[in-house]
Amino acid sequence: MAQVTREMVERAGVNVDQLVELLIKNAAAELTTYYYYTILRVNLIGLQGEGLKEIAETARIEDRNHFEALVPRIYELGGKLPQDMKAFHDISACPPAVLPKDPTDVKAMLTVLVEAERCAVRGYTHICNLTAGKDHRTYDLALAILNEEIEHESWFSEFLGEGPSGHFLRRGETSPFVSKFLK
Amino acid sequence: MRRFSKEELRHYNGLDGMPAYVAYQGKVYDVSGSFLWQQGLHQATHAAGSDLTAALKQAPHGAELLLRFPIVGILDPNG
Ligand code: HEM
Ligand SMILES: [Fe+2]
Ligand SMILES: [Fe+2]
Repeated sequence: MAQVTREMVERAGVNVDQLVELLIKNAAAELTTYYYYTILRVNLIGLQGEGLKEIAETARIEDRNHFEALVPRIYELGGKLPQDMKAFHDISACPPAVLPKDPTDVKAMLTVLVEAERCAVRGYTHICNLTAGKDHRTYDLALAILNEEIEHESWFSEFLGEGPSGHFLRRGETSPFVSKFLK
Repeated sequence: MRRFSKEELRHYNGLDGMPAYVAYQGKVYDVSGSFLWQQGLHQATHAAGSDLTAALKQAPHGAELLLRFPIVGILDPNG
């Protein structure tokens, strides 16, 4: 634990135990999503599926990056990851992004993907709200992740016919916002 | 439809095999089936067995996510 780091956040009026629990739950959501997206991605095949494979892969890699970026903050604030990975899975802030019964149903695949991203957008918006002006480092991190989650949501929502989102798929490096936390 | 007093509702906290019920705008919903309400706890901030009408205003989502769950009763406004 980084003692003064935690004390500063407490003194700003943040319930640090609750915040740490939320960070752990969101870290669990990231790592489990990374796993479930692996299965979704390998099943995105054929004429329609192939077009989604690239963005699903980028979203997958960025979620793993989000997990990596969250872990140091959890420990700085005095938290820790559960010993048992099954327990970690079950405390995820988002429901499992399970492969649809019929993986050739592209609409069902997209729905799973977009719902996972929407859950993430909600979760990080909430963490930003809790920490804004109080816990600057967690806020900066949650905002960086939120920026990427919003792009993920946009990519998938366009394919669901929800209209243009103004985004293009990632060019160049992954995690343009979160990468500073990974160095 | 079953009427719950606040006191009765408190028992449905999702612990020790009890179902997880939450009240919202006078109706009682059964969220036991939700992955996000295991042990009656939601997002490290909310617990089942209580009236969460006010709490939902602070949530990063609206009532639509709750309205999909079965209604099991109404919350007695007199207690
Ligand atoms: C600080 C407060 C809260 C936070 C951070 C929060 C966060 C979340 C998140 C991230 C989800 C997943 C949404 C998605 O999949 O897109 C969710 C779902 C849900 N929330 Fe909340 N929530 C809060 C308060 C509440 C309250 C007060 C209630 C009840 C009145 C509630 C009831 C639900 C329900 C029923 C679901 C859907 C669960 C499911 O589909 O299995 N939430 N919440
Ligand atoms: Fe993520
Ligand atoms: Fe994402």
